[in-house]
Amino acid sequence: MEYIGEHLLPGQIGRFAIVLSFVASLLAVVAYYFATQRRNTEEYTSWRKIGRAGFILHGICVFWIIGTIFYIMTNQFYEYQYVQAHVSEDLDFKYIFSSFWEGQEGSFLLWMFWHVVLGFILIKTAKKWEAPVVAVVASVQVFCGSMILGLYPPFLEDFRIGVNPLLLLRETMDIPLFAQADYVSLIKGKGLNPLLQNYWMTIHPPTLFLGFASTVVPFAYAVAGLWTKEHKAWLKPALPWALFSGAILGLGILMGGAWAYEALSFGGYWAWDPVENMSLVPWIILIAGIHSNLVARSTGYSIRTAYLFYMLTFVLIVYSTFLTRSGLLGETSVHAFVEMGLEAQLTMFLFFYLIGSLFLFFKNYKNIPAPKKEEATGSKEFWIFIGSLVLFFSAILITWSTSLPVFNKIRQVFDPGFEGHVITDPVSHYNKYQLWIGIFVGLLSGVSQYLRFREFNWKSHAPRFTKRVLVSTGIAVALTVLCVQWIDAKAWQYQLLLFCGLFTVITNLDVLFFYTKMNLKAAGASFAHIGFGLMIVGILASGLNKEFISTNSFAQRGLIEGFTEEQYKKNVLLLKDTPLFMSGYEVTYTDDTIVKFNRTYEVNYKKRDKSGKVIEEFNLYPNILYDKSFTKVAASNPSTKRYLNKDIFTHISSLPQAEMDIEFAKAQEDSLKYKAYSSFVGDTVFMKDYFVVLESVDRSPSHPEYQPQEKDLAIGLKLHFQSTKKDFSYDAMPMVVVRDNVLFGFAEEVSELEAKVRLTGETITRLLGDDTKLDFNTFTLKKGQSINYNGNKVLFAGFNPKVNHPDYEAKEGDIAVSALLTVTGKAGDAHQIEPVYLIRGNQPYNLKSEVGPLGLQFRFAGINPADETIKLMVAEKSKTAMQLPFEIAGDVARTDFIVLEAILFPGINFFWLGSLLMLGGMALSMLYRRREKLQTIAHEGAEEAIA
Amino acid sequence: MKKSHIIAIGMIAIAIGLLISLNGEIDNYSSFSEAELTGDKVTVSGHLSKDKTMNYDPAVDPNYFSFFIKDKSGDERKVVLLAAKPQDFEKSEEIVLTGKMQNGEFIASDMLMKCPSKYKDEEVYIKSKA
Repeated sequence: MEYIGEHLLPGQIGRFAIVLSFVASLLAVVAYYFATQRRNTEEYTSWRKIGRAGFILHGICVFWIIGTIFYIMTNQFYEYQYVQAHVSEDLDFKYIFSSFWEGQEGSFLLWMFWHVVLGFILIKTAKKWEAPVVAVVASVQVFCGSMILGLYPPFLEDFRIGVNPLLLLRETMDIPLFAQADYVSLIKGKGLNPLLQNYWMTIHPPTLFLGFASTVVPFAYAVAGLWTKEHKAWLKPALPWALFSGAILGLGILMGGAWAYEALSFGGYWAWDPVENMSLVPWIILIAGIHSNLVARSTGYSIRTAYLFYMLTFVLIVYSTFLTRSGLLGETSVHAFVEMGLEAQLTMFLFFYLIGSLFLFFKNYKNIPAPKKEEATGSKEFWIFIGSLVLFFSAILITWSTSLPVFNKIRQVFDPGFEGHVITDPVSHYNKYQLWIGIFVGLLSGVSQYLRFREFNWKSHAPRFTKRVLVSTGIAVALTVLCVQWIDAKAWQYQLLLFCGLFTVITNLDVLFFYTKMNLKAAGASFAHIGFGLMIVGILASGLNKEFISTNSFAQRGLIEGFTEEQYKKNVLLLKDTPLFMSGYEVTYTDDTIVKFNRTYEVNYKKRDKSGKVIEEFNLYPNILYDKSFTKVAASNPSTKRYLNKDIFTHISSLPQAEMDIEFAKAQEDSLKYKAYSSFVGDTVFMKDYFVVLESVDRSPSHPEYQPQEKDLAIGLKLHFQSTKKDFSYDAMPMVVVRDNVLFGFAEEVSELEAKVRLTGETITRLLGDDTKLDFNTFTLKKGQSINYNGNKVLFAGFNPKVNHPDYEAKEGDIAVSALLTVTGKAGDAHQIEPVYLIRGNQPYNLKSEVGPLGLQFRFAGINPADETIKLMVAEKSKTAMQLPFEIAGDVARTDFIVLEAILFPGINFFWLGSLLMLGGMALSMLYRRREKLQTIAHEGAEEAIA
Repeated sequence: MKKSHIIAIGMIAIAIGLLISLNGEIDNYSSFSEAELTGDKVTVSGHLSKDKTMNYDPAVDPNYFSFFIKDKSGDERKVVLLAAKPQDFEKSEEIVLTGKMQNGEFIASDMLMKCPSKYKDEEVYIKSKA
């Protein structure tokens, strides 16, 4: 079939680029392999040339593929499956990047993109390491590239290598729609998950993936070291890369935490979720690797551990990819997982690098140089080694627990009936063990700062060491005692951890300012360790003192029998404009506004002193996001008030069902039992708990949901509701509109009285209806004269040139006048009315007036200027027919409230400051090491020139 | 023997000890009847009974949400979550609950929902003809 409107060319070229990029990466691997193997022969340069060409071609193809996907996404070519799945008409352009890496294919490409960028930098800068290092990077690209190949090998049925991101929608499914040649014009995109429509989704994935990708460089250097048997030379160029990777990967993980805290309603920055764990573990190992690398460079010890840790870091990155993309974690993680049938490929990816690394390592184990003499107990290298082991240990514990679903799966292969194990309380499980890791790392990163590498004269160093450690301990103990006044750390384990955190801050400050006298080489390390210490203080403060302030045990009714556990009481119900006291704050939900799909609530916080004066006041704006059809709530975003010493975090945990679900709201509206009432203006209708006064008729009414248009015919009734039970009154203005012969009603809710009032078509008919069928009697009257009509006396008191009539709108050229009439009923009740006579465009018109209680209608039909008489038409109608109808429903469920969760996080800024300082320290070290490396190169160059 | 070896062996010993003690914190996915018998905090995985009533009325108590779950063995019980009703709850396919049985009701302290992935639905969104 010839399809209409498809854009096939970009896809065809793109698919070719996918295959070409895969082949080119293979070529690069092979060529760089031979370049490395024959590095000391003449062939080296030509092999390297082919390798370079291969990798550069591969890189260009990857850029081309990414460019193609952006092109088809920005042009919304929905005939492509990836576009249809991730883009929609209403998507903001700023989220196009987020849409790109929302899918697995896109995130693989993002990962590959960074590998290419890093590979290009390595080609330019790695000098003699280029061949083995880029060979490793290219080999990783072969695996990543295979994930987007989308090839069906002819010899295997139902087996697919990778998922091609450039498939057409009609190639991925078989539905009747594709029988239509113009199907493209009929489809629309699914768009980006509203939870991800957030700036964090724009910055977090590229940072995290740069972190992931950059771990390949220290890994590649380690492999290169083993491969070329230059076990010492690789340590120097690998270090700045490892520091870079540590800083960026750390930043990526931290951004994930910040996203969870700031934009999602997780209520914290870290939840020990499997996905978080599996990005943290490689980082921990990488940090252990950096420390081993430092020791190895300074002393020659720990080369083996440096190898092992760098290789493990990358293998764990692959393991993490495997876990998060294979769908294994489904039951233990809040993150959404997708099974794409890549499990077999991911397993191969993992085992290739795991087994390859172990093989290389143990094959060369004996050749890796290690000093015969063991490290001195008083030496820095010994304690850093111990510290690295502690980090390694921590990583093993986390990995083991996080891998439970994997163990379950393996066991299920042999024992299909096995249901699987699960950790009942993961947060306390992880905290319990990692607490001790924190204690050891805190102590070690403090104490080891005063130790020296290759300690050969401990006796002379010992007194100085002891003095500094003792003084720091003293200060840290004093600070801990002070902090415990503030942080609710009752258990001694927490106090010990707090001490260790503070100890490392003090010792490293001392090292920074007094011991090494601001030596730049050491400054990065000091900053990083100070950051770590502050981070621990922040974790303890915000974690232990975290307090749900959204509780009010007096206002909230008790739960079912026997459940008074306060920790479950995390939410409060806030009625609009009704202040509620919670944990010292007077909280009021004051307003809400809808912009596009976003509904933002204004919540006012006030704190008063004893005299009632407001001492603290702020507004928070949590919001919810409706889905595209406006029928469901898709996301709830928190809002946080930040202080230097604490955060007040709030989010909407629930809303009235009718506000969250349009279907429900419709059903609820349908189930209301409206009763019809009618009344004259000024009369009162009595109900059980309140009465309603019909105050006036409004010809240009307003309603929050009504947007006036030209030619609208709108009527509103102003109804005053007054409770008889409590001091409450409310002016409601229900209205009806006729627009293009269709009637629209706008009801109004009086939540406090659980009532809802609406007008019907009756109201319009009644007010604007046809009265030609009425039997009018015509009278001629002079000023001062009166007539008698069915027992009612009508006095014509005079003319009024200033026309005042609810239906009259002045226009230029109008000649209008009203007749002042006093109508006195049989009972002697007098009514003043002013019917209007007007000439507009040479046409005479009149506007009727009524005296409802008497059932009378009047028309001022003409003037005779000659004898100054007027022509007055009078008709009588039944009284009830002249009353104004409206309908009121009782027992209306309230919709004017929100359910709010508010959490106080004290000292959370220590956490952010500490972690940023730690990463900044790493970055500083990296820059320093890089400069050092550049200087060495310049130096060597100069020497060569002289020679 | 080197000091570092001794320390490494010590740490391995601690690691093995910890990993064994981990068993105490690991449970099988349990069932309601088991939870009733032991009274312990357990994790149960099951499906939402969509035909039974769900009760969440924040006007009465914003921290009370009840519904019915059928566990893997087909046992159906009332579950009470002492928190606000999560969004998209009705859409969830599988629900993993952590909590205790009390008076014939399962009181959940933690709940994880598995919602159908947006990638799985093969429905093409056809433009609505306005």
